[in-house]
Amino acid sequence: MKAFRSGRVIVGAVIVVTVLLCALLAPHLAPHDPDDQNLLAQLLPPAWQAGGDAAYPLGTDGLGRCVLSRLLWGARVAMEVALIASLGAALIGSVLAYVAGYFGGWADWIIGRAVDVWMSFPPVVLSLILMTGLGTGERNVILAIVLVDWTRFCRVLRSEVLVVARRDYVAAARLVGFGHWRTVTREVVPATIPLLVTLLSLEMGIAVVVEAVLSFVGLGVRADQVAWGQMIADGREAIYQAPWTLFAPVLAIFVTVAGFNLLGDGLRRTLDVRMVEGRE
Amino acid sequence: MLLILGRRALSAIPILFVVSLLLFVALRVLPVDPAAMSMPPSATLAEIDAMRSQMGLDRPLLEQYGIWLGQAAHGDFGQSLHLRRPVLRLVADTLPATIELAVAAMLVASVLGVGGGLLLFTLRGRRSELVVETGTTVLMSVPEFLWALLFIFVFGVLLHALPFTGRLDASLPRPDKTGFLLLDAILVGRADVLWSALAHLVLPAVALGLAFAPPIMRVLRSSLLDVYHDDYIRQARLRGLSEGRILWRHALKNAALPMLTLMGVQFGFLFGGSLLIEVIYSYPGLGNLMVDAVRNADLPIIQIVGLTYCVLVLAINTLVDALYVVLNPKLRGR
Repeated sequence: MKAFRSGRVIVGAVIVVTVLLCALLAPHLAPHDPDDQNLLAQLLPPAWQAGGDAAYPLGTDGLGRCVLSRLLWGARVAMEVALIASLGAALIGSVLAYVAGYFGGWADWIIGRAVDVWMSFPPVVLSLILMTGLGTGERNVILAIVLVDWTRFCRVLRSEVLVVARRDYVAAARLVGFGHWRTVTREVVPATIPLLVTLLSLEMGIAVVVEAVLSFVGLGVRADQVAWGQMIADGREAIYQAPWTLFAPVLAIFVTVAGFNLLGDGLRRTLDVRMVEGRE
Repeated sequence: MLLILGRRALSAIPILFVVSLLLFVALRVLPVDPAAMSMPPSATLAEIDAMRSQMGLDRPLLEQYGIWLGQAAHGDFGQSLHLRRPVLRLVADTLPATIELAVAAMLVASVLGVGGGLLLFTLRGRRSELVVETGTTVLMSVPEFLWALLFIFVFGVLLHALPFTGRLDASLPRPDKTGFLLLDAILVGRADVLWSALAHLVLPAVALGLAFAPPIMRVLRSSLLDVYHDDYIRQARLRGLSEGRILWRHALKNAALPMLTLMGVQFGFLFGGSLLIEVIYSYPGLGNLMVDAVRNADLPIIQIVGLTYCVLVLAINTLVDALYVVLNPKLRGR
């Protein structure tokens, strides 16, 4: 595969796989229970700093909870949300894009207007409103992201499908007697897969951020689950005494999102046949 | 120009209408009872029922929407359940702060975006291009609220260089004229107020602007690359014009158009981003109003703030569309 010769794809994939492994193996990797409070060891600095304790490699937060363990468990929520939400958004957005782009006419008009309505909301505002309606919880965070971000897929894919669906080979397939279903799934969809994969990777990064934002505001996952956004909100309170409790989740979000973005960017460059001379 | 603007504005009205209907329905199916929330806790069930029918909550949803729309047409968007003030007043009090922040952030994003885009373009084909480009990808991975937190730590906590809460120093009197603090400070001629307001605006605006600059850089670079394939650039070279003159006087004009469209979209998103920045910097704007309302399930506020964000986004899109037509001679006369 050509894609795996690109530096970005490799770096991005390594980061994403590492975070995924952390998420999957969190119960085994975490030195402590993420909710275990050790009130005798509050706000311990990381182990390499003076006063640090080797039992808490990244120190403890204001309630004496192990920062590293919380980070690992937070990765679980982040990755679950990222994967499921972006797949859901991709599914809805791309199905609508294929319908709109392939059939055109009134279907295209209705879907286009729906996208317009959605796009007139800043995404953060829309997801906040949805979370008010749905209530907190991981499942609702996923639902909110799907309901907000399907337009990202729909907009971009639709214009691609418009171009592909009018190519001669698609018309040929119709002439040979392929039905609409077979034409779309066998002829149109494969041509748009590279774009879809790229969008999916970028969307996963966005989903990580949105989940963190919602948890930060207190409208994300339930309070008994560990989320990076929540850790940031906690760490912000202790910014003077224990900046590491803020930095750890900030860094985790940054690295994860950078991984997804590098992967998506690299894929776009290697999979898109039209990329000549670094044109975007 | 005005004609185009008017036509675009008209096409935004149906969208606004649908949005307000959706917002209304979405917020009414919530398991929150606005009637019970607007009464003191000692109210009896009968009193709450009376309040409910007084507020029209026992009627069909569409009828309720009709009533709401009728009141809204008269400028009555209801009372906040929690703060017990007309919501329109609350929005009018906070909107200028948000616009001030968003415009300042957009300025930062534009300067960084255009500068970065030109830098990326001049480095094309060189080895350092890869480094700078990967840099923009990494830069894109830092959302605005992470910048905000980092800035608070570095400039506020470590260096004590800049303030990071509110809009103005508490010891200074707040000039109350337009609500736009920078403008007010100039109007009343207080340099210290202006200085303090600027100092409070720097961190939030830069944090927000930084997050929105990388896409501008990329689009400017790629549209410049596209433009340089055109014959007129080769023609300019053959005429012996200097590279600098070609870039500034010839290429940039055409390359700016796609960037302008993107900046319009970005400006809309930026209002969403300002919400988080406001929460982090305790900046008294629309975003803080919204988040407080969400926490208190204050439906009338959520409704009107949601609508206000929509109006802002649609207004910006309309303006950018019209500007696009004005700046692009190909679209004139249509």
